Amino acid sequence: MKSFSKKVLAGTTVAAVALAGSIGTLVAQEKPVIATVVKISGIPWFDRMNTGVVAYQEANPGVVASQSGPATADSAQQLQIVNDLVAKGVNALAVVPMDPAVLEGTFQRAMERGIVVVTHEADNQTNTNADVEAFDNADYGAALNERLAECMGKEGKWTTFVGSLGSRTHMQWVGAGEENAKKYTGMELVDPNNESFDDANGTYEKAKEILRKHPDIKGFQTSAGNDVLGVGRAIDEAGLSGKVCLVGTGLPNPSSDLLESGAITAIGFWDPQKAGMAMNAVAKLLLEKKDVTDGMDLGVEGYNKVSVKQGPGKGLLILGNGMVLADKATYKEHLF
Amino acid sequence: MQKTGGQLAMLVVINSLLLVAGALISGGTFLSVFNLQSMASQVPEIGLLAIGVMLAMCAGNGGIDLSGIALANLSGVLSAVIVSSFLSATESGAAFSLAFIAGALLVGFAGGVINGLLISRLNITPILCTLGTQMAFMGLAVVVSSGKAVTVGSPALLSSIGNDMIAAVPISFFVFVLVAGVVAALLKFTPYGLWLMLMGTNPKAAVYAGFPKNGVIIATYAISGTLSALVGVIIAARNVNVKFDYGSSYLLIAILIAVMAGVKPEGGYGRVICVVLSAIALQLMSSLLNFSGLSNFVRDFAWGLLLLTFLAVGRYDIAGFLSPGRRSQTPSVPVPQAPK
Repeated sequence: MKSFSKKVLAGTTVAAVALAGSIGTLVAQEKPVIATVVKISGIPWFDRMNTGVVAYQEANPGVVASQSGPATADSAQQLQIVNDLVAKGVNALAVVPMDPAVLEGTFQRAMERGIVVVTHEADNQTNTNADVEAFDNADYGAALNERLAECMGKEGKWTTFVGSLGSRTHMQWVGAGEENAKKYTGMELVDPNNESFDDANGTYEKAKEILRKHPDIKGFQTSAGNDVLGVGRAIDEAGLSGKVCLVGTGLPNPSSDLLESGAITAIGFWDPQKAGMAMNAVAKLLLEKKDVTDGMDLGVEGYNKVSVKQGPGKGLLILGNGMVLADKATYKEHLF
Repeated sequence: MQKTGGQLAMLVVINSLLLVAGALISGGTFLSVFNLQSMASQVPEIGLLAIGVMLAMCAGNGGIDLSGIALANLSGVLSAVIVSSFLSATESGAAFSLAFIAGALLVGFAGGVINGLLISRLNITPILCTLGTQMAFMGLAVVVSSGKAVTVGSPALLSSIGNDMIAAVPISFFVFVLVAGVVAALLKFTPYGLWLMLMGTNPKAAVYAGFPKNGVIIATYAISGTLSALVGVIIAARNVNVKFDYGSSYLLIAILIAVMAGVKPEGGYGRVICVVLSAIALQLMSSLLNFSGLSNFVRDFAWGLLLLTFLAVGRYDIAGFLSPGRRSQTPSVPVPQAPK
């Protein structure tokens, strides 16, 4: 009896210590709480977004803004976090869904409880009050292509890369690029829509093949985040830096070497920091029962004149102008 | 038997402790009806998978079921695709729900039987066999759904399983408790339960004693597969959509729950009630950490710590270790039942 209860006691003590060590403080708050939930925590993209949430909190002491996210890339884990936050009774959720479809049921329950739901990178989400996108995908694709055309002198062979043919945004980007290139009769699209699967190595091999097949190719427009690295390496190794143009989606830090060497002409991206701030700004507006209107200024750089449309569900689709094109001269302003 | 009571008592203590800690930290909202309901409706998915893992572990000879969540997703995806090809979720809600549930259970059962056949007839090591079938199930789900989420919708019956309450308790939690009860009864009162545990303890002796070894193995994996299918149904009911890669982290968590519940990885011992409590403990802990707004990496750390604590308390006499005076006499002294 004694030894048994001691065992239990010891077990509970150890567990209690484990708990005490791992639990922070949660203060009962009167201010409205805006909880940002990202796809995965601990990766550079969402660490950058967190700086935006922190900055928003500092600028708006009237609300409580914080960011959390699952430790593993699993939509079920993200779902659980959202469920717990709904139960905890936050006032607004700002979510970057891992998989919009999986979250529909929970968002519906959250909205029935009167919680404001704002999403990002999910323009097909039906159960949301507002979805915030950094830019219009067609505008972005056209802008990338315009930069490419400028570099190519508006003539010559060019090709496109997408993450996969099923990736909706990537196809929209290259589609808009092709439309834009039709303005210039000298530009000839060859072997379009190569699939890269966001794998820098695979892209590198494919880009080498294309350089062999079309020795006179002048330009590449790429879509997935790692494509510029793969294609850039192929161009660099072939000694074609500065002769072949490469414009695509990429992040400043990983691309810096290739930008310096001239293998990458320019990278396009949107800043997750600003997107995080914009989501929180929209959530706050909706909490205050204010309308988000066309042409409104959210007070965040790149979201000064948003265009507001009807989303796929009852919610709004808010498009900013948060696109950034950076080249060798300017990428240092956006190091992340 | 003394270990049994200890594990159970310990799980009860941990659960109560977590509830108290939650109440203290959140100033009461952790114990609000809504949060209790929210947690209760999150437990069944992972709890049912853990029961499946437990059964496979009990069968001994390195038994384990890694295909659980993949089979759950496959059941949901396949059944949704097939049923929605001839029934509409919006027009004939009840019929759609029943057909969907039946289809999913059938797929899960079939998947489990395949696992059982491969392991018993072809003598493939369970960990390799279920790793293989896990990939096969997942691959099939990808092919069937072309890698996209499949919409099940919210037909009346199915959506009530996912969202409604009976006497303020979520229906999915009722299903979980009911199924756990049935499995527990199966293990306790039928020859199958006795065979399973004895076979897990000593497979060779079981063969010589004339146990229907293959039958027991096939039945075990078939039950595990059916439980997975039930998970698939609950996922569909709650999330409106099913997808092939949902819950990829559940695989290891289910094993963690089973081990934390004192199921012997070498086979022959496991109690359903402990698995249920262990699943609830993990749920309480993760919700607690989400409530306190801590990083999810801390959660993994806390889970690991909890598991190590259980292993240490179960295997070594920590109590004796902590108080040197009693150390010499405790280890082999039989311990009486848990005090009420």
